[in-house]
Amino acid sequence: MSTLIDKTSAARPSGEAPEGSGRRGPLVILRGTGRYRGIVAVCLVLAAGFVAWGGTLQPFEQGQLTRAAIFAIAILGLNFTTGYVGLLSVGHSAFLGLGAYTTGVLVVSYNQTALSTIPVAMAICFVLGLLVGIPALRIRGLYLAIVTLALGVAFPEIVARLGDLTGGAEGLTIRRTLLRPPEWSGFTLGEKDQWLYWLTIVCLVLAFVVLRNVITGRYGMAMNAVRQNEIAAAASGVNIATVKIFSFAVSGAITGLAGSLFAMYIGSLFAEGSFTVLAGITLLIGLVVGGERTMLGPILGGLIVVFLPYYTSDLGGGQFSAVLFAIVLIAVVFVAPDGIAGGLGRVIAKFVRIEARRPEGRDGGLLGTRASDPEPAADPGAGR
Amino acid sequence: MLNVSDVALTFGGIRALDAVGFTVGPDEICGLIGPNGAGKTSIFNCITRIYQPDSGTITYGDTDLLTVPRHRVVGHGIARTFQNLALWPQQTVLENTIVGAHSTATPGLLASAIGWPATRKAAKQVERDAWDLLDHLGIADLASHQAAGLPFGTLKRVELARALISRPSLLLLDEPAGGLTHSEVDELGDLILGLRRELGFSALLVEHHMGMVMRICDHVVAMEFGRTIADGTPDEVKRDPAVVAAYLGTAA
Ligand SMILES: Nc1ncnc2c1ncn2[C@@H]1O[C@H](COP(=O)(O)OP(=O)(O)O)[C@@H](O)[C@H]1O
Ligand SMILES: [Mg+2]
Repeated sequence: MSTLIDKTSAARPSGEAPEGSGRRGPLVILRGTGRYRGIVAVCLVLAAGFVAWGGTLQPFEQGQLTRAAIFAIAILGLNFTTGYVGLLSVGHSAFLGLGAYTTGVLVVSYNQTALSTIPVAMAICFVLGLLVGIPALRIRGLYLAIVTLALGVAFPEIVARLGDLTGGAEGLTIRRTLLRPPEWSGFTLGEKDQWLYWLTIVCLVLAFVVLRNVITGRYGMAMNAVRQNEIAAAASGVNIATVKIFSFAVSGAITGLAGSLFAMYIGSLFAEGSFTVLAGITLLIGLVVGGERTMLGPILGGLIVVFLPYYTSDLGGGQFSAVLFAIVLIAVVFVAPDGIAGGLGRVIAKFVRIEARRPEGRDGGLLGTRASDPEPAADPGAGR
Repeated sequence: MLNVSDVALTFGGIRALDAVGFTVGPDEICGLIGPNGAGKTSIFNCITRIYQPDSGTITYGDTDLLTVPRHRVVGHGIARTFQNLALWPQQTVLENTIVGAHSTATPGLLASAIGWPATRKAAKQVERDAWDLLDHLGIADLASHQAAGLPFGTLKRVELARALISRPSLLLLDEPAGGLTHSEVDELGDLILGLRRELGFSALLVEHHMGMVMRICDHVVAMEFGRTIADGTPDEVKRDPAVVAAYLGTAA
């Protein structure tokens, strides 16, 4: 037994022992192993259970959950560029609003079905994202925040000016019958809210999976690299301009998706109501409190920005509720500077750590031979 | 073949480089020595397009490097390490290494989003290369460790892995032995020679450890005050009166 221990410690030449040698470190689980798949499966089942439970809720509660899921999508979008690439955007309310008005105008004035307006809303927001991404090439940090702030401030003004299209200050009302669920869905007009709940969940899952694919892949690593050191990223071949512009465009498109769903949810659009800079700041609050640069953070953020004000207003009305809301937010950021998901992640990492697994198969590698470390040819104590 | 000629660079009136010229031949390890402030790092930054020289030419093979955008330099086969480290501290050692392969197998945004099979396959290959390199450099057991918090010498190796994974034909090493002990410096010299044998590259090596420079370089260029003051075999440069004076004048 002791030889086994000696051998393992000798095999770590760089003497890394961050957690005292006497105590056991966290349990390490490698990606792609059976154990890892088991954990993922449990998480998926829990999430599916939560979603199914939401499907059985009363209309009001379910509506709140739909709203939270819509905000989660919007914050997922914001996280993509502000979290991972570090392009601070205060004005994402403009994307939310542009997505919402695209759907609203197309449904009311151009007789489109609500569902068919989603890709259009995303495409238009993608293009706006490309345009806003251009200043992001030259400026960053607070200066970029000011440019995006200007966008957020300008949006309601522009909507008011384009009164013919948007209804101007009067607002734009989408009649309920225009939001009838499609035939094939099996939902009736009376079940519109339930249909919207499930539609939002599907969109959330799709957005989550697509963004996760990017973030966990090499493109996502390049995005992180751009945020942390641009010179090193460029020296490694990362085109900084492309990464910044496209991250902003994708971010805009995803937040625009949320806007489109929001239009279907709320039914009547007032630029001065839902799409001011305050909405942009709400998205940022959701992101920071939920947990920047995590996949779970935006979902928690969506739940927080919808449910927390609701509970704090239960405890006290008006001004007091707003103060309470602020106090809770400050407390969270104080306890967990990297947000709830980040703080949770740090606690979990004390017990379980998920690490990359070395791919099997050593053919055609960069280095022909692998005679570097003289590992014992066979482990005599293989049968444990 | 890298050809630097007559390169001049000023920073608000301060002449950092003044008519610098030298050549690095194929498969050659060329040492670049000189006291602090001589302009060695500035030359690296000109070659990798971080600085734009005021005049002069820098070519690599048939390519005029001064027309190449910064992020394309590595695609032409030139990879570098940094004197004071330029890693991504919040990423793991493995991820830091993997991003180094961005130029050889550039991941597309759309392909990544939909999990395109060819993109996944390329990622697997890059991962394998990264593990192989980390193994070879003796840091594979730190693969999942964040770069932040690791010792300087270890991080220098991570930078080396990140540079090598792009399969460079020219490697620019800026004081790779900084912060190492004597025996580690010898080990590093052997490592660089071994890597050149296996992977085949030429190198431009900035280093203050004269023993290492004299041992592994085929050719040495000496600089002082932004000028090349000597160029020849290690022995020739070591005996060159201008070099002796430069070192006695500043480092003695
Ligand atoms: N970004 C910069 N701004 C101003 N001066 C610089 C900059 N980079 C280098 N220099 C100056 O150029 C000269 C050469 O520096 P450097 O290339 O770092 O020398 P070395 O690497 O040989 O020690 C020094 O005088 C240094 O102060
Ligand atoms: Mg230097």
